[in-house]
Amino acid sequence: MRYLHSFLLIICLGLASCEELIDVNLNDVDPRYVIEGDLTDLSADQVITVSQTVAFDAPVRNKPVENAIVTVTDDKGTIYAFTKSGDGIYRANFKPKALRTYNLKVVIEGEVFAASSYMNSYIDVDSLGVIEDVIFTDTVYSVTQKFMDPKDQPNYYKYKISVNGSDFAFSRVFSDKFNDGMFVTHQISDPNNDIFLGDSVVVNRQIIDKQVFDYWNELQSINPGSAAPANPTSNISNGALGYFSVSSSKRYGYRVRFTATGN
Amino acid sequence: MFRKYSVFVITLLFHASLFAQTKVNISGYVKDSSSGEVLIGATVQAKESNLSVKTNSYGFFSLELESTTATLLVSYVGYQSIEEVIDAEKQKRLNFELVPIGREIEEVVISGKKQNKNVTSAQMGAFNFTIEEIKNVPVIFGERDILKTIQMLPGVAKGGEGSSSFFVRGGGGDQNLILLDEATVYNASHLLGFFSTFNSDAIKDVELFKGGIPSQYGGRISSVMDIHMMDGNNKRFSAEGGIGLIASRLKIEGPLQKDKSSFMISGRRTYADLFLKASNDKTVNDSKLYFYDLNAKINYRFNDKNTLYVSGYFGKDDLGYGDLFSFDWGNATATVRWNHIFNEKLFSNTSLIYSDFTYNVNVNNDESDFVIASKIENFNLKQDFSYYSNNKNTLKFGLNVLKQKISPASLNASSNSAVNSINIENRYGLELAGYLSHEWNPTYWFSAIYGLRLTDFMVQGPGTFYKFDEDGAPISNQKFTNSKVVKHHLNLEPRLSASFILDDKQSVKTSYNRIVQNLHQLTNTTSSLPTDQYVLSNINIKPQYADQVAFGYFRNFDNNTYEFSVESYYKFMGNQIDFRNGADLQANEFLDGELLFGKGRAYGLEFYLRKTKGKFNGWVSYTLGKSERQFDQINNGQWFNSRQDRTHDISVVGMYQLSDKWNLGANFVYYTGSAITFPSGKYTVDGRTIFYYTERNGYRMPDYHRLDISANYDPAPKNKRFSSSWSFGLYNVYNRKNAYIIDFRENENNANITEAYKIALFGIIPSVTWNFKF
Repeated sequence: MRYLHSFLLIICLGLASCEELIDVNLNDVDPRYVIEGDLTDLSADQVITVSQTVAFDAPVRNKPVENAIVTVTDDKGTIYAFTKSGDGIYRANFKPKALRTYNLKVVIEGEVFAASSYMNSYIDVDSLGVIEDVIFTDTVYSVTQKFMDPKDQPNYYKYKISVNGSDFAFSRVFSDKFNDGMFVTHQISDPNNDIFLGDSVVVNRQIIDKQVFDYWNELQSINPGSAAPANPTSNISNGALGYFSVSSSKRYGYRVRFTATGN
Repeated sequence: MFRKYSVFVITLLFHASLFAQTKVNISGYVKDSSSGEVLIGATVQAKESNLSVKTNSYGFFSLELESTTATLLVSYVGYQSIEEVIDAEKQKRLNFELVPIGREIEEVVISGKKQNKNVTSAQMGAFNFTIEEIKNVPVIFGERDILKTIQMLPGVAKGGEGSSSFFVRGGGGDQNLILLDEATVYNASHLLGFFSTFNSDAIKDVELFKGGIPSQYGGRISSVMDIHMMDGNNKRFSAEGGIGLIASRLKIEGPLQKDKSSFMISGRRTYADLFLKASNDKTVNDSKLYFYDLNAKINYRFNDKNTLYVSGYFGKDDLGYGDLFSFDWGNATATVRWNHIFNEKLFSNTSLIYSDFTYNVNVNNDESDFVIASKIENFNLKQDFSYYSNNKNTLKFGLNVLKQKISPASLNASSNSAVNSINIENRYGLELAGYLSHEWNPTYWFSAIYGLRLTDFMVQGPGTFYKFDEDGAPISNQKFTNSKVVKHHLNLEPRLSASFILDDKQSVKTSYNRIVQNLHQLTNTTSSLPTDQYVLSNINIKPQYADQVAFGYFRNFDNNTYEFSVESYYKFMGNQIDFRNGADLQANEFLDGELLFGKGRAYGLEFYLRKTKGKFNGWVSYTLGKSERQFDQINNGQWFNSRQDRTHDISVVGMYQLSDKWNLGANFVYYTGSAITFPSGKYTVDGRTIFYYTERNGYRMPDYHRLDISANYDPAPKNKRFSSSWSFGLYNVYNRKNAYIIDFRENENNANITEAYKIALFGIIPSVTWNFKF
């Protein structure tokens, strides 16, 4: 489908299409709570962010919520209390363990938001690589991970990316719907910024559960041609936006100094 | 089940015999004298009794005379009328050949019979165009296109910039039945919607029904577009064609046996891809981007009573990027029809029809090597009778057996590919339908067409059918073996259209129809793609249906120079389909679980004023409309505007004969931007700005408007055989940047700032086409 997209692109360009910034008068609506909990076994520093939506034309990205009470409980009954560290960020010190279910509870002014997530085992990477794609005149780089997908079980993968030391941001999620049990290559790029020759790239690979995959898959499926974009289905109760995930994770560093092999 | 049908048919025949009387009936065909093409909708009038009939879609008419001698007046727009005294005692089968009015006569004057059929006919919500009538309407890239012209009629909304899809009276794009010589055309567009699959060279005329749909049609709930292909010249060989900016066309036709049989073959191909060949880049060089169409038809007249038609269409789009990726899709149709005249009163047509739509995606790169293929096909056997009992009563009845097969996208991977092959079960359906329609003209002041259609859609095996819980998760399944009927969907569809004539100039009409649809197209993008899935009604998906009522006032002015009408309609749509959030529609055996079912309603007021005669002609249409949908799981169960909702929709089409060589054309369109979902806020997750949506289709695209002009230069031919003409066009004259897409994003330099941008597709586009004929 990537090729289909570039085709549409040249058709558009060929027909002298143009893009321009416009003003759209969007309604102001009541803010909603947003909870982002992405716990991993990368380190013992666990972060959960609580915020609120803001108007589209607000000069900030969100509005932090400072009066939340955040706790996570595992299926052995251990309770981890998160403490406020400002800017809507809540922290706790523990390392989650695979094959356990973790339950989130966030209380904001008496309203309770709950979610749970199952932590899957890690799936090791076999090899790393860099791909150079020439799409008409543009040369685009992306990084790859090759690995064996475990057979006869659904597996879900999520990647975050950091280019030249930037903050980690969401890249893509994958499922093994079409390649269960195969030797799989995942191609990872930064949707907002192109990767150039000489860049250093760090990829955060996470083995997530189905609900978290569905959440991100719905988000990454929204494109300008979607008939009806909607808020992705959250695994958090009570109408909160965002998601709660506990995953096994590792980081991989790349230096993009690859030149075309003449494909 | 068959018992029911036979009772239906017997009742029908019995009913027919009631009308048998003793007056004299004559019948025959009306044709073009230069080509032998039959003329559809030509008028045959008995002057003494002032009774008249129109030829059917095979050019056949049957008329009852009060006495054995009569003066017949045969007329058709653009042709010289014939007046002939006949003796029905001697001759009951009469064929008329009308002479086309040449270029020297600019103004069409039709003597005798008043052209007020639009007022007096019982049918409402219908339009009829010949290709000739619309040849001067300006179009994008200079490619004459019947679908683009249809979009300028009242009650027909444009699918979007450059798109050939259309929405009738608030219905969806997949709710239009598009027939080419009776064969269903599944995907009526090329190049992702910019061109229709109908090559105007091969088309004779088109009929559109928006309401009061006659009972011989069924299967789509919003409209019927019935397109007839040219039969081919049975007098002499001729060729015509054109060379345009985007595509070239060539048509060859001629007699196989003079006056008895003929053939027509017409082709069209685009050549944008030839520019890719100029590239130095090998991948670009090897890329493909084209479509072609092929229409062919032969007919053979065995004798006065039997004519055989064989026609076919084949079209394909092909996109390819080097050898890494290719994507092709297309329709194919084939129709064999046998017209048989039992006697002056009973006309029969038997059709055997095949049509399909396929697409194939080929991916071949380092990691993956696979093919995705999908196909939908049908076989259709139709038997239609027209019984012209007398001038007050015409009966149409028939039977229809339709076998449908859907092969959903399956994925075929090579053994060393990094993807698995996926095979989704085929789906089968068999639809039996019977109909009866009575056209009743008891007095001059009142006439009606009413009828019934009975359909039994049988969901057939083999296949595994799943049941789902409220959240769309499968809970049980049942396997069915070979062609076993899984479920019957039995529906009765009443139809009615009636007119009350106030005087020669004005009438009021009303219509009602119920229509049922068993084939559903699943589109979750704003433009429909060739890869959209089709599903048949089954144990989870109930047939879509529409109930529509309409009222209209029709009035002609200035000796029928101006036709005016206003129609109002209300349409209720049941069992409409939408999707769960993030629905997975591709290669999903639990597809039904992703679907949501709700209802729709659409209502509106349509105004239409057309000037039919004179150097200057054209029309103005205005529609004030509303179209909404309601699903319990969407928008908190509240009604929301559908994508087809346009509050105001205006089209103005004008054509002016400047001199005997120059023809000018212009059209202007304006419509309210379609309803769309925009964000009402934003937040961040995982370092990305995410948009917050509150209401389905709660916003509007900016209003769309555009002016196009054209000029046709058609000099007198230097010699009799060869003639050529030029068409010049300007699309979007004032270069309006109509928004095609509006999207939202983070500012590249400052993630705190979010911005909206629009993409406009077409600015001003000039075009030139050279046409020739010999």
